[in-house]
Amino acid sequence: MSALDAQGLLEITLRTLGVCLSALVISLSFGVPIGIWLGRRQFPGRRVLLGLVNSGMGAPPIVVGLVVAQLFFRSGPLGQLELWYSVEAMITAQVLIALPLVVALVVAAVAALDLDWELQVKALGIPARWRMWLLLREIRLGLLAAVIAALGGILSEVGAVMQTGGNLEGETRVLTTAILMYTRMGLFESAYALAVVLIGLMLVLAGLLTWVQHGDRT
Amino acid sequence: MNAVLQVRDLVARRGSGSGRFELRVDALDVHAGEVLAVLGPNGAGKSTLLLTMAGLEAATRGSVERITDGAVTMVFQRPIAFAGTVQHNVRIALRSQGVATDEIDRRSADALAHFGIAGLSLRRASGLSGGELRRLALARAFALEPSVLLLDEPFDDLDSEAQESLSYDLRSALERTGVGVVVVTHDLRRAVMVSDRMAVLQKGRLEQVDARQTVLEHPVSPEIARVVGMTNLIPATMEAGGQAAADASHRLPSLDARPAGRHVWAGIRPEHLKVDIGRGEGESIGKAEVIRITTDGVLTTLDLRWGEHLLRTHLVAGRGLAREVRIADTVLLSVRPQDVHILDRPRAGIQPPR
Repeated sequence: MSALDAQGLLEITLRTLGVCLSALVISLSFGVPIGIWLGRRQFPGRRVLLGLVNSGMGAPPIVVGLVVAQLFFRSGPLGQLELWYSVEAMITAQVLIALPLVVALVVAAVAALDLDWELQVKALGIPARWRMWLLLREIRLGLLAAVIAALGGILSEVGAVMQTGGNLEGETRVLTTAILMYTRMGLFESAYALAVVLIGLMLVLAGLLTWVQHGDRT
Repeated sequence: MNAVLQVRDLVARRGSGSGRFELRVDALDVHAGEVLAVLGPNGAGKSTLLLTMAGLEAATRGSVERITDGAVTMVFQRPIAFAGTVQHNVRIALRSQGVATDEIDRRSADALAHFGIAGLSLRRASGLSGGELRRLALARAFALEPSVLLLDEPFDDLDSEAQESLSYDLRSALERTGVGVVVVTHDLRRAVMVSDRMAVLQKGRLEQVDARQTVLEHPVSPEIARVVGMTNLIPATMEAGGQAAADASHRLPSLDARPAGRHVWAGIRPEHLKVDIGRGEGESIGKAEVIRITTDGVLTTLDLRWGEHLLRTHLVAGRGLAREVRIADTVLLSVRPQDVHILDRPRAGIQPPR
């Protein structure tokens, strides 16, 4: 195994972004509606669901990876899909890691609104589509926090990704698994190059959050 | 007057078990251009009535019928401010309903100007004070040009100056637009100031709906008398000639024709009970001792012991007798017979409602 070249670095970075953004989009697509529903509605069993979501936030990624790997393993329940050691399996694990974070932060943002917020908006004769837009606008900082928390969790994840993707060169290798691999191999220059890219991505995200938050308050 | 909203045989049930609550309204009309004040103690069902009238909560039975095409809009006790500017807050509902841009401009500018917040148009709504937010909520509602406007405690949490100025602006906006308004408030003075008619809710039942003055002076029950400020309620027994005897030596004149011997409540509004200074207004009902004096700077309230009974009257603060009277003074009282309101009392000896 040779040291990392620029082409390899770009390929791994792009794959990392692809996997992470796919997982993020899927997490938000499910997590935001679920969070809004859990945040606004009262029904029997709501507390249990919230408890599950909160527990999910603390679930060890390695265990999530183990469960997903078992699902996609050839003899597993979803073995016929042949997705073991695939980008799809990695995305599935990352979605399961990010989803509770997104749901919990959206629930918190929605719950911070006035109890009769929805009634007040209805009382103004605002149609359902606009009500949803207004709600998303009201909870935008919570949504932003959910995006950052989810992306941060996904981007820095290594255990579950290794278990479900296998760090296959040219197929499932991403920044974190590559850093782990080059560190084990003693190729610290390559590991640091990847680490710098990873930290750079994190800093860009943090900067984006600060900029949006600042823009919202001025 | 044309009804713009009709409530018929309404039953609205909320909660379950010991927290179960039922609102019943047989008939209630809201007319164009009038203000109907809904009064009642906490938990009487005022907010449930408003929410049901607004169509925001479902009725268990009966109907709430809109007679005109115009919208029914409600302003809540704690209005929300949407993220964005004051102007955005007023425009957003109009935009969502597809109103043309120039019409949105006209309506929002009018509403903001009318409620005195045009200068705040570009301010963030989240930074408004309580009074400004209340004005924004009213401007937002008026910009929709509703045919019925439902207001839940619009003066709550405002200082007296803000209440005064907001009720003036509100009354003038109502006169200008001809909208039918239902206002729920626990503040009797504000209700009197803004309303044409009054409705009184008690334990989920609509007990009385009538012209403002009729409700104030002729409440149909002692409980309603308390709600509408007829705080002097004295257990009495009718005598010949319309006199109501509170005890052997204390009598009140009245125009009531109930037969002698009937147990009644004699109700007198504090403003109708006069401290007799010899100008001959009403009939003298004897002496009373001043036991407490309080003032809010506008009115001075005297609590009086009249025989075994407690009475209350108001004087204009800082003038005449209000400046001179002291605790333990003895004053002469008088009342006009037409200002003594007689209500049936089921049995002797029960205490006035609190």
